[in-house]
Amino acid sequence: MTIHPKTRDLARHLLAYEANAGVSSEAMEPATLRVYEKLRGNLRVLVGVAGFHALASRALTLARSEVPGLGAVQVAADGKLQGISEIKSAMKADEKWIEEEGVILISCLLGLLLMFLGEALTMNLVLNVWPAAAFDNGNVRDGRKA
Amino acid sequence: MYGRLRPLTTAMCETGEKREHRRQSEDKQLPTGVPGLDEIVGGGLPEFSFNIIAGAPGSGKTTLAHQFVFANASSERPALYFTVLGESAIKMLRYQQQYTFFDPAKLPGSIRFINLSQVVLEKDLGAVLDEITKEVEKANPAVVVVDSFRTMVRKPQSDMDLQSFIQRLALFLASWQATTFLIGEYAEEELRDNPIFTVADGLFWLRQTAERNSIVRKLQIIKLRGQDSVPGLHTFRITEAGVQAFSRTFGLTARKRNPPSNRRLCFGIPELDKMLDGGVREGDSVLVAGSSGTGKSVLATQFIAEGIRHGEPGIVAVFEERPEAYAERATSLGLDLESPQKDGKLTILYLRPLDLSVDETMHSILDAVQKIGAKRLVIDSLAGFEMALSPGFRADFRESLYRMIFALTGIGVTILSTVEVDESFTEFPFSTYSISFLTDDIIRLRYVSIDGQLRKIMVVIKMRGGNHAKDIREYEITSKGVVILGKRLTEYQGLISGIPVHSDRSGPKEEPSQEPESGSKS
Repeated sequence: MTIHPKTRDLARHLLAYEANAGVSSEAMEPATLRVYEKLRGNLRVLVGVAGFHALASRALTLARSEVPGLGAVQVAADGKLQGISEIKSAMKADEKWIEEEGVILISCLLGLLLMFLGEALTMNLVLNVWPAAAFDNGNVRDGRKA
Repeated sequence: MYGRLRPLTTAMCETGEKREHRRQSEDKQLPTGVPGLDEIVGGGLPEFSFNIIAGAPGSGKTTLAHQFVFANASSERPALYFTVLGESAIKMLRYQQQYTFFDPAKLPGSIRFINLSQVVLEKDLGAVLDEITKEVEKANPAVVVVDSFRTMVRKPQSDMDLQSFIQRLALFLASWQATTFLIGEYAEEELRDNPIFTVADGLFWLRQTAERNSIVRKLQIIKLRGQDSVPGLHTFRITEAGVQAFSRTFGLTARKRNPPSNRRLCFGIPELDKMLDGGVREGDSVLVAGSSGTGKSVLATQFIAEGIRHGEPGIVAVFEERPEAYAERATSLGLDLESPQKDGKLTILYLRPLDLSVDETMHSILDAVQKIGAKRLVIDSLAGFEMALSPGFRADFRESLYRMIFALTGIGVTILSTVEVDESFTEFPFSTYSISFLTDDIIRLRYVSIDGQLRKIMVVIKMRGGNHAKDIREYEITSKGVVILGKRLTEYQGLISGIPVHSDRSGPKEEPSQEPESGSKS
């Protein structure tokens, strides 16, 4: 799946928002994980644990094709992401690279949602999770228009 | 119904006025969001009712529930849509959002999808009820849907039996003032034994059957506590607007029938109008029967055109030719059907053939009748109408026709239907459908063999509630339409047999043929 640049921008925006909004206890946790966890919390209600696990696994597989370094990351049975923190510890020297990995993973997850649900529903969902974040709805053109 | 349960002591202390006031507020009906369905359920769905939507896969259960949800959910009183196993919520949303009723702005504020698969798979019904209870108490929903309830209760039960679970669920949801839909893939054989059907206030059954190459969808309200729903099977269709239901009473049950009128509607054919004692009575159903080429459509066109001349808007429902061709043929008779169409005085409906239900056809006709205030309706022809129906409806054609004619004439529309009959020289049939009892007036056209020519005769067979001429009249179809010739044919006997005998002759007399002159000699 080709990630649309606008979807990538949205993912980048979410990661930046979380990176800035992180409270001290969360500071050590990568922004990727926080974005992922918030999406998981919301999507789990919508599609169930198994449904989210399937979506996340697919997103991870797609992201790996672009960033082989994500090979060590796994989606657990409950949908949690495992291995991101470990990558971060191992590659502290290259923060930029880690950030890009996260963008791709989140982009793939959002891309799947856009493809299945369309732009309107996906943006509603994102706004529901991040009501305070300012989004330009015109940012995303990937997927079906609802 | 649980939603109407109130402490007995409170009810006993109230005055009649208070009770009536409370009853009215309790009897609030919610729009179903499905065009045509409100009429079928008796005005709307009772608030706080506990309903089942049952049917086979692909019958439209989820779509119907979504329409109800989108019509009633608000941010103050949202809808909770519990999904359980079955269709994944993602795919459901992917497909459902293609319907025009789907408003993405309502998600997730007014409509919340909650997946219960995990708890259903891993825990017992008690835990499922706890989960539903938790979400309902948190959201205070106006509408709750469980899709599919069948899959929720399919596995063997342990801690709580099914009946107890259903009772507690129904009681809880009604107490929390939620109108509920449980969706399930049930078979009709289960109606007797499954406790869910006993507890339910409303039971909507959706059917989908293949009839030859057509699919026929039907909806039945098997029960609906507290209100009069229209009994029987109602056709429905799923279009881009979602489910659209067509009441078998055509939405006219609540309308007062017009009192019989003595007003006469003319054909604009002076001799025929005289035969009809001034014309057909307003609100009558007229049948024009004859074999191919006898001028049934011409007569029908003249009837409509004459109405328009008198300021009576008309509808022509055609099945065998396109409206343009119909209007062109009228032009060749000197009748202008183009201008009245532009002026909104005439609608020529071309009802696309092959898989219509009578109810859909009626819906189209009624819409047109109401839109232009039509007083005259031509159905040209009944044979074409029958052919346009899905094969599954053809068996019920006569019954459907009865309902249609009764409904339309009841609101004062005068209907003229044409019907083709096979010409026979041993009998004089009025219709191949045995529908003469449905008609007030019958005009029969037929060919006769007279003096070596195939000529046409017309006779008024019946006029309910009025005098009519008993004459058998010869007519021709000219550039001015149907023209009745001379006086009644008194010099022949056995005209209706098609092979009359001249009264003064013992048999047909051979006369020179009136062939067109030809330059060649034989």
